[in-house]
This record gives sequence, C-alpha cells and structure tokens, in this order.
Amino acid sequence: MNIDHHENFQHMIDESLAGGISAEREKSLRDHLHTCAPCQEYLSASNNVIAGLGGFSFEVDPSLNARVFASLRVRAQQVEAAQPRRRQWLLISLAAVVLTISGSVVDLRFGDLIASVFDIQRTQLQHGLLAFWIVPSLCVFLLFPLLPWLSKAGTRRQGRIV
Amino acid sequence: MFEDELISRTSMQSDTQQIALGLRQGDLAVIEALVEQYQYRLVRYLIYLLGRRDGVDDLVQETWLRVLERGSSYDGHSRFEPWLFRVARNIAVDAMRKRQNLSLDSDDDDGRPPPSPASSEPSPFTLAARTEEADRLAHSLQALDPVHREALVLRFQEDLSLQEISAIVGAPVSTVASRIYRGLATLRPQFEGETA
Repeated sequence: MNIDHHENFQHMIDESLAGGISAEREKSLRDHLHTCAPCQEYLSASNNVIAGLGGFSFEVDPSLNARVFASLRVRAQQVEAAQPRRRQWLLISLAAVVLTISGSVVDLRFGDLIASVFDIQRTQLQHGLLAFWIVPSLCVFLLFPLLPWLSKAGTRRQGRIV
Repeated sequence: MFEDELISRTSMQSDTQQIALGLRQGDLAVIEALVEQYQYRLVRYLIYLLGRRDGVDDLVQETWLRVLERGSSYDGHSRFEPWLFRVARNIAVDAMRKRQNLSLDSDDDDGRPPPSPASSEPSPFTLAARTEEADRLAHSLQALDPVHREALVLRFQEDLSLQEISAIVGAPVSTVASRIYRGLATLRPQFEGETA
C-alpha cells in the first residue's frame, strides 16, 4: 500500500474522531483497520491523546461559588431597583407624546379662536405654543431611547464585582 | 432503543425549556443551580482557552453575571452548555483585547507561531495532570495554539458536536474540524511508536 493510501485512511480516522464522517466511510475505515498496522497505531496514538485530555483535574477555588452567588445577588438587586425607575420614565415619555400631539391639535383646531380671544396674532400664538409646549414635550419624548442606555451605564459603574 | 432516545431527547428539551424560563425570569435559584452544575466545566474551558489559571475566576464571575443579565437570549431549543461557553468566550476575548494580549479570532493559516507560556511558573496543565498520559501531554498542550486547544476540549471533554463548537467559536464547521485535526496532530507524537 502506498503512503497516500494510508494518509487517506488516517484523515478518515481524524474525521471519525471529530465526529464528521458518514456511516459508509466509517465502515470502510473499520474494514481497513482490521488489516493495517500503521493505521491501527495512528488510531491508538490518537485515542491516547484523547484519554490524556481526560486526565487533567483542575482545582476550583472552594470560595468561588460563594463569591459568584454574592455578586449575582447584588446585580439582581440593582436590576430590580432599576425596574420602577424605568416604568416611571416610560410613563413620562407617554405623557410627553400625549402633550406633543395635543399641543399640535390645539394649534391646528383652536389656534384662530384662542388668538381672537386673547387678541394676539396667530403667528405669535404658534411661536408661544412651539416654545413652551410642543418643543419641550417633544424633547422629553426624544430623550426616551437614551434612557435605558444611561441607566445601564449607571448600574455598571455602581456594580463593582464583590 | 428509539423510544429511549426519544424519551431522553424530550426530557432534555424539557430541562432546557425550564432553564430558559428561569433565565427569562431572572430566577436566582435557577442560576445558582446552574453555577453548581457547570462551574467546573466553565473553569476548565477557560483554562484551556487561555492557557493560564490566573484571571480565570474573574472571567467565571463575569460570565455568570452576563448569564443573569442576558439570560433571556437563551431560547431553550438547544443545549445550555454551548450557549454558556459562547458567553464565556466573548467575555474572555474582550478581556484579552483589553490586555492587548492575543486575539483568538485570527485565521488558522496566518502562520502565527503558537504563543509561548506567559511565565516561568508551571503551566496549569502540568499542575492538573493526574494520569501518565496527561503528564505527557501537559507541555505540548501549553504550547498549542489556543484555538486548537479550545477545539480539543470542546470536542473531547465537553462532547460537543462540530456544529455546536462552530456556533461557540463563530467559525465554519470545516475550520473547527481542521483545528481538531491540527490539535491531534500536534499532540499525537507523544504517543507514537507504542502499541495499543
């Protein structure tokens, strides 16, 4: 048998050990192994490597689990504490949306009426509504997407690992 | 036999679904049970990945905190271990980048020499060898490329499939297989010339 022939089967041994070989090729490999000493030796050396990998026993610090549990509890409390704040911000954001929309409705539907009642120009009323009602509420609403990120950054800064 | 396999698979799915539910709810009791169950394997994986013992405990701690924070991304449709190792790997890679040590995401064929041990202290593998075979492997294992070492531990210690390893390391299945072949090829000379 030539070297290429052995190399093919040895590659099949690798494939078989890695778990990526078809049943048909596996059978052909088994048949070959019955009659080929070099490939048997190759398989045996590979199996010894795998057995060797199972022969390590790493020491785990006995206090590690306790430290992990403690840091998990601290982080869980921080996450829990952040929940009501998030709900609060959500409500504020919803209120801001309502205010923005209602400000625009007031301007469009009742702008002329209000301007005549207070005896001011329509444009003056529009500027007033924009400056003191619509733009501020819109700004609060636009800030909302940044809040979870700001909140998380704050929590991380506080949450030093125990 | 088919029924046994079906029962085992159904039971496994029910376990993973329960884990997923616990993680979604941020249930500390579930996470603490997972810590008890997977701690040693997580430590072992990180030692293989980094080739050192120091700093591993911090990464373990950070990994479990990430599990608490992002547990909702585990869907329970597959085994928990690959998801856990992927979380741990991301944290380890970030830590390595911060230390400006070495990248695990390099291509296999870049000709980069395997990293040498960071210090003159005995390697974690030398200290942890409990059998003659392990003792013979310890030195070569330390000198092995981290990605090859990682592929070997995930395949032969964690018994993960090529597809699961591929999902952990973010590389194609063929690359993972190639890393396993190369890892075995580097370590095999320790046992060549012996009869079975």
